[in-house]
Amino acid sequence: MRFVVIGASAAGSSAAETLRRYAPQAQIIVVSDEKITYSKPLLSYYLAGKLGEEQLFFRPPDFYERYKIERIHARAVGLRPEKSAVELSDGRKLYYDALLVATGAAPRFPEVEGIQRDGVFGLRRLEDASGILERLPTARRAIVLGGGLVGLKAAAALKERGLRVTVLVDSPHVLSQMLDESSARIFERIFEQNGVAIRTKAKPVAVLGREKLQGVQLASGEVFEGDLVVVGKGVDPNLELLEGTSIQRDYGILVDDYLRTSVENIYAAGDVAQAQDVLRGEPWINALWPCAVEQGRVAALNMLGKETRYRGSMRQNSVQFFGVPVISAGLAVLTPGPLGGRPGEHDETLEFSPAPGIYRKIFLKDDTIVGFVLVGDVPAAGLLRILMERRVNVAPVKERLLELGPDLGYLLPLIAENREQFAEREFKELVQTVSVEV
Amino acid sequence: MERLFCDPRRCVGCRACEIACAVEHTPAKDLFRAVLDGEVGPPRRRVQTLGGEPYRVAIGGVVLSLGCHHCDPAPCVDACITGAMHKVNGETLCDVERCIGCWMCVMSCPYGAITPRVKALKCDLCPDRRERVGRARYACVEACPTEALFAGTFEEFQKILAEPVVSVWGGRP
Repeated sequence: MRFVVIGASAAGSSAAETLRRYAPQAQIIVVSDEKITYSKPLLSYYLAGKLGEEQLFFRPPDFYERYKIERIHARAVGLRPEKSAVELSDGRKLYYDALLVATGAAPRFPEVEGIQRDGVFGLRRLEDASGILERLPTARRAIVLGGGLVGLKAAAALKERGLRVTVLVDSPHVLSQMLDESSARIFERIFEQNGVAIRTKAKPVAVLGREKLQGVQLASGEVFEGDLVVVGKGVDPNLELLEGTSIQRDYGILVDDYLRTSVENIYAAGDVAQAQDVLRGEPWINALWPCAVEQGRVAALNMLGKETRYRGSMRQNSVQFFGVPVISAGLAVLTPGPLGGRPGEHDETLEFSPAPGIYRKIFLKDDTIVGFVLVGDVPAAGLLRILMERRVNVAPVKERLLELGPDLGYLLPLIAENREQFAEREFKELVQTVSVEV
Repeated sequence: MERLFCDPRRCVGCRACEIACAVEHTPAKDLFRAVLDGEVGPPRRRVQTLGGEPYRVAIGGVVLSLGCHHCDPAPCVDACITGAMHKVNGETLCDVERCIGCWMCVMSCPYGAITPRVKALKCDLCPDRRERVGRARYACVEACPTEALFAGTFEEFQKILAEPVVSVWGGRP
């Protein structure tokens, strides 16, 4: 068997690892247009100077040798499903028995005048971070376009590097794809307290400059001066490879519950794959590290003929800004909108702030968790997440869900009542253990 | 692979496992020195009351000690963006040197078994204990006065669950 994986980030690496685990003899080829395999979510830590380049590797340096995976540094430029072949930028042609497309996504740049200027960066690839770092000695002010996760992580990193940073956000509040307004305001204050200026409802219309970048102009006419611009306005899936094929796509590559594309022997995983979303009930891209790793593994199992159903992804995230952690999941958290939640998503909210700096909010619909936000202290967030994912009616435990440290023991009777939703071996063992007669 | 299980009929909620675990994960590995040096961190397993019943000592079937289940595939390993959380021979381990405290693992663990405390803290199955003390590998199992904690396979543990418990102090048959 010959497996070809296009992409060497979260999904690609996880797939290659899984393929080797179950197919010791198979030929496994990973193609990537990047020289090394590193963790993209860590780039802001690299930018801040908290991690060195070698600390960005999320697998041991000898990963490819140890797993006997051939890694080709080239760009996959063409796909010929009728010949089961992939064409590479170096002129080579690879034939596959099963192919995984894990080409990921690229930063979305707003269509404003001057966005192609020298000094405007995304923060998605190592060379983006290196490019920004090269400019640091001569830069004093930075402008970040976008108040999402990447934008704010970049802003915090540049602040730590001693720059004056202004974040320009289109939306009414920061983190509009992660937090509700009141939780987002907490972080706006934290950023302001740490010297990062945040301007919401700010629509940029032009990046100004001649030879040297000068700043960003807003629709209001206002100009923010800056020596470099970082764009963090979301990502778009890399679909170029599919051009000329009949592989079905919507926003990303459409895959079924086994992560198969519409063309035989071709699978997709990670930020390029539009798989089932358990909360939305429709295919969606949740461009998140944990989803990509899981999809890579599930796709690999199916490529191996070990039929494995993908449970689906959902919006969730965990991050820490200036030492304050936040975990949020679910759609109800988001303001209704085309990318956000839907109206009527929740009919009840539970809020709790046991101490200054600690804030928790749970969104319910018909006594089922449909979203939550934990700020400042995040123990056992996974318990809330699993109750939400499995759509458990939490009426019996509702009163105590917000308490610090809801623990598994407290929830076990409820889990035992809903045991058909908890098929994992460990949950089955636990249910059996607590069901034993005293 | 050997894993840890707790028999709720035998667990009296004395928290000896918690203390033994916390001490095992201090540099000194000695309760008094750890307390004097202020080095005691959180235990990686906790006594929990089933269904939040009021905490009562010596009432069988109400409390049990829970920690990481070393599940496979492990959601925390999938979620880790640095590669700190990893599997070795079925064991789920966190290389704290690599952990940056993003808490992706805390969000992902369906058992609430990871403590976010600067680094992600979890059961590491006492990796160097057997060599060091020459006795039981696991501090919590050794400390358990009623033999509620058990190290082995679930099949072996099921046999224990099938046996009636006459007295929690009597030891296992």
